[in-house]
Parts: sequence; C-alpha cells; structure tokens
Amino acid sequence: MDRQYFYRKKFMTDSLILGLSSGSACLATCGMVMFPYLMAGSAGVKRIALDLSLFLVTRFLVYFILATLSWYFGQALFSNHIVRNIVPGILYIVFAVLLVWFSISGNRNRDCPAKIVKTVNNHKLVPVLLGIVNSLGFCPALFIILTKGATQGTILQSYLSFLAFFIGSSIWFIPLPLAGKIRKKEVLKNIGILATGLAGIIFMIKGLTNLIGGIING
Amino acid sequence: MDNNLRLTGTGKTFGKSLLYTFPMFLITFMFMTGGRPNFSDLASSLALITAFLLVNILYFLMHYTGKTDRYRAVLFIIFALSLSYTLIHNMLEVRRSMSFSQADVLECKIPFCHLVIPMMILPAIFTKSIIFPGSILGGFADISSMVVLWLIATVVLGRGFCSWGCFYGGWDDGFSRIRKKPAIKKIGELWKWMPFAVLLMVALTSAVALLPTYCSWICPFKAVTEFEQIVSVESATKAGIFLSLFGGLVIALPVMTKKRTQCSFLCPMGAVNTLSNKISPFSIKIDKKVCTECMKCVEVCPVYALTPEDIKAGKVSVFCSKCGKCVDSCSKHAINYGIKGIPAGTMKNFSRNLFLFVSFLFMAVFSAGSIISTFQGLLKLIF
Repeated sequence: MDRQYFYRKKFMTDSLILGLSSGSACLATCGMVMFPYLMAGSAGVKRIALDLSLFLVTRFLVYFILATLSWYFGQALFSNHIVRNIVPGILYIVFAVLLVWFSISGNRNRDCPAKIVKTVNNHKLVPVLLGIVNSLGFCPALFIILTKGATQGTILQSYLSFLAFFIGSSIWFIPLPLAGKIRKKEVLKNIGILATGLAGIIFMIKGLTNLIGGIING
Repeated sequence: MDNNLRLTGTGKTFGKSLLYTFPMFLITFMFMTGGRPNFSDLASSLALITAFLLVNILYFLMHYTGKTDRYRAVLFIIFALSLSYTLIHNMLEVRRSMSFSQADVLECKIPFCHLVIPMMILPAIFTKSIIFPGSILGGFADISSMVVLWLIATVVLGRGFCSWGCFYGGWDDGFSRIRKKPAIKKIGELWKWMPFAVLLMVALTSAVALLPTYCSWICPFKAVTEFEQIVSVESATKAGIFLSLFGGLVIALPVMTKKRTQCSFLCPMGAVNTLSNKISPFSIKIDKKVCTECMKCVEVCPVYALTPEDIKAGKVSVFCSKCGKCVDSCSKHAINYGIKGIPAGTMKNFSRNLFLFVSFLFMAVFSAGSIISTFQGLLKLIF
C-alpha cells in the first residue's frame, strides 16, 4: 500500500461521485426519451439487457477516447505551472455551479440530447447512437471530468478517472431492463436529482480547495 | 382487551405507574452499578444516584402522565450533551486536544460511532477489512460493541433508533424545541430523500476510497466531538464544512423550522434506519374511526414523517422515528404506538408499554455511562 495507491483511490473516488451524479442527471433528463427506445416495446428482459450492454459498451469506448484526448489537450493547455494550479480550480467551480443549477432546475426534461434518435429507423443502431449521444451530451459533469482528465499527471490516471466516472454513471442504467417492475420510479428520480446536487457541491468545494491551494502554492 | 384504557394519569393510579417502573428500576440499577454499588467516593456516588433517579423518574412520569415525547426528549437531550462532554473530556485528557493527528489514525485511536456503519458494509464485504481507524475490541467506543448495539436496536426499534438510541439526535431535537412557533413552515417533499442520496454517495465512495468519507468530509457532529488536525487547506476546508453543517442543520434550521433537520435531511444512518422500519415489530398506528383529521400530528412531527395524505390514508410513513410527539399531541387519542399484525385501535396500552419498556431501557442503559461521567465531572467542577 504505497502513497501512489492511496492517491489513485482518492481521485477515483471524486470521479465516481461525479459519475453517479452524471448518471442520475442523465436518467432524470433523458429517462422519458431513452426508455422507449432501449426497452423497445415488449422486447423482454433478455433483449433489453442486450441493448443495454451495447449502450454501455459504446459509452465506455467514447469515454476511453475522451480520456485520451483530454489528457493530450491538457498537456498542451496546462503546461504553465500557474495555469495548472489555478485554472482547473476555477473550471471546477464554474461547472459545479452549473451542475447544482442543473439539479435544481425544473426544465431538465426539455434538454435531452438523446431526442436525436427519434429520427433513426434502424433499431439495431439505436443503443449505439444513444451511447454516443449520452456520453457526449453537454452536461456540466462531462465538462468536470474532462477538466480532471486534462489535469492528470499520467494518461493512466486520466483513464482511471474516466473509468470511475463510467462506473458511477452506468450504475443508474443497470435497473433499466427491470424498469417496468420498479414501482417507485419517482423516488429513485428524486434521489438521483439530489445526488446530482450533492456532487455539484462536492466539486465546488474541491474547486475552492484547489484554487486556494493553487494561489498559496503560487 | 384493554381498548378503552389509556394512560392519562387520571385513569391510572400512582401505584400502577410505580409497578410499571419497578422492572426498569431493577435493570437500570444492575447496569449502572454492575450489581455491586460502590459508594466510597462522594462525587461518584452522587453522580450515580442522580443519573439513576433521573432515568427512573422520567420513566415513571411517562406512565403516570401518559406523555411520551416530553420525558423522552429530556433524557435524549441530556444523552447527546453528556456524550459530547464525555468524548471531549476523554480526548482532552488523553490527547490534550479535540483534534486528532495522523499518528492517532495510524494507531487506530479514533472513537467509533454508529454513523460509520453504512460506510463499512461494502468495504467489509469486498476487502474483509474495517475502514475505520478505531479499535475493534476493547478500548473507548470500540467498533464491535457499537455495531452489535446498533444492530439489535435497529432491528427492534427500526427508525425508532433515531429518537431513542442515537447519541447525536438530542442536539437538533433540543434546538428544535427552542421557539414556540416555526419561522419556516414549508419545506419541499423532495428534501426528505436527501439522506438516501447522501447514503448512496458515502456508501459507494467509501467502498472505492476505503475511507469513511462521511466522517472525513460531512459529519456535522465533528464540531462537538473530534476532528482532523488543521494542517492544510483541505483539513481547514473540512473543519469549515463541519462547522457550517453543524451551525446550519443542527442549530439554525431546527430553531427556525421546529424540526430535526439534520436527522431529516442529511443523516445517512437515518436512511438505513428508515429501511429497517420495515422489519421493526413496532410502529405508529392511526385509528381512522377516531381520527378527525385535524392535522395537529402533521404539524408537530419533527422528522416530516406525516403528511395530510398519510393521515387520510390512515398510514404513517417509513420516515417515522417513533418519538411519540404525534401521540402526545392527539387530543382524540387516534394515533398510538402499535405492534405489526395487531389492528389500529386495539391493545393500545399493551403496545405502548411494551415499546416504552424496550426503547427506554435501551436509551437508559446506553446513556447511563456518559450521563454518570458528566454528572461526576460537573460535581468535581462545582466542588
């Protein structure tokens, strides 16, 4: 159990929290749009599980690409020591405020990017398209994880951050095949929305800590 | 059976209440003295006698007057204050500070509290390790005895643990009683689910980080127990969060709303106990035949467990902490303690007596040590 191990655990925790919030927010935003496509009418649990797996694999691949890109961009953009210490803190605060606003805003259902799949006729492509659209949806949580990926020391750390983010956000989709059997959907949605707000507050604090630490350390 | 009987003080004799108190008298005597009372030291003897009399008089009054919450709250608040006093006193004696260092963490010297339990479960399953830096057996506030005590209490009392066993609940319960009328009356239904969101976050993050994240970052009661030594921006931020949450959720909001806001909107243990309410044999029942739907109980409920819809449906929600405030407030005696499987309105006295005996005994035994220590400390300060 070396120092590196504990450090890795710590930044993976942040990403997991963010993933949890992002997933719940996604579900709160897009649940009504995605459910009919992923569940495809009376397709049965097996078929839904298969489509869901395809959806999750697509999301995983998109995040893998984003982790790589964000890290390379980060190396180029945050090469200056002062910028590296201060800018991520500011970005965290801005995106965290957006995340909290997103969770308390009443207009969540209006903004689902997954509406685009309504124009697709080929059912087999729907889970893949949903996976791409869902991963790239312009939500504050995605901007936060991109900031995080960009500021990691190594590309492996960037991958691990995105992996934790993927796990956290995917947990919310796992009950989808059984969605028809879940009686208290409203309760789950409420908990998800609150978790989003909590994650926003956590990243606001993280941003403030980073910013103050960055200013102190010059 | 005794459907028409209700302990209101007028219908019951002094002797009958004394008779109900007698088993409590014997058991608390055994627990407090260990069966062998030692009166060699004056301060210790006085503290022991005071604590013993306090507990038994309160229990007697519950039976004699028929009021539950009024006397429960007295012991509950004293329990919270005395526990904080004992913890702080202990830490100041051992460490000369309320803060703990990294050395204390490495030597597993941090006192354990039940709020850590929801965070321990997943790491314990996956890694077979306890993520809290406290002692497992022996020592002050060890992990095993606390887990066993909580497990027994939560299975038997359900969320009643939050009003009869939690040694922090008395803080916001106390502050919620300061004002006569609430300044803030309406809080959105959505917020009732916040403890579940907190539970979800802390359980998962603790499992990944193998650290008790609630204790490290959120717990408002760090402000009145122990906290991390301030040596960095991060530890200063944590201290700021602890103090803000304590000031906001334990002091300001309870005063403004007359509700236990920390318990209702933050505590992850409250969420676990809410779920355990499903298995607890005790509950609060509404007798629809007698209820006039005056909504007085909705108004006084300190944990937002009652809504007008619940009353109309004749059901109390799973958020109920069985404090008895609604029971005390009902002039028609339509809301009562009950036992699962027994219809509302029947065996009311039997159900209440059984619940009071179990829950009060738990609180009395659990709180006795810290109350005696506190009285002892105060007596030493005075004399």
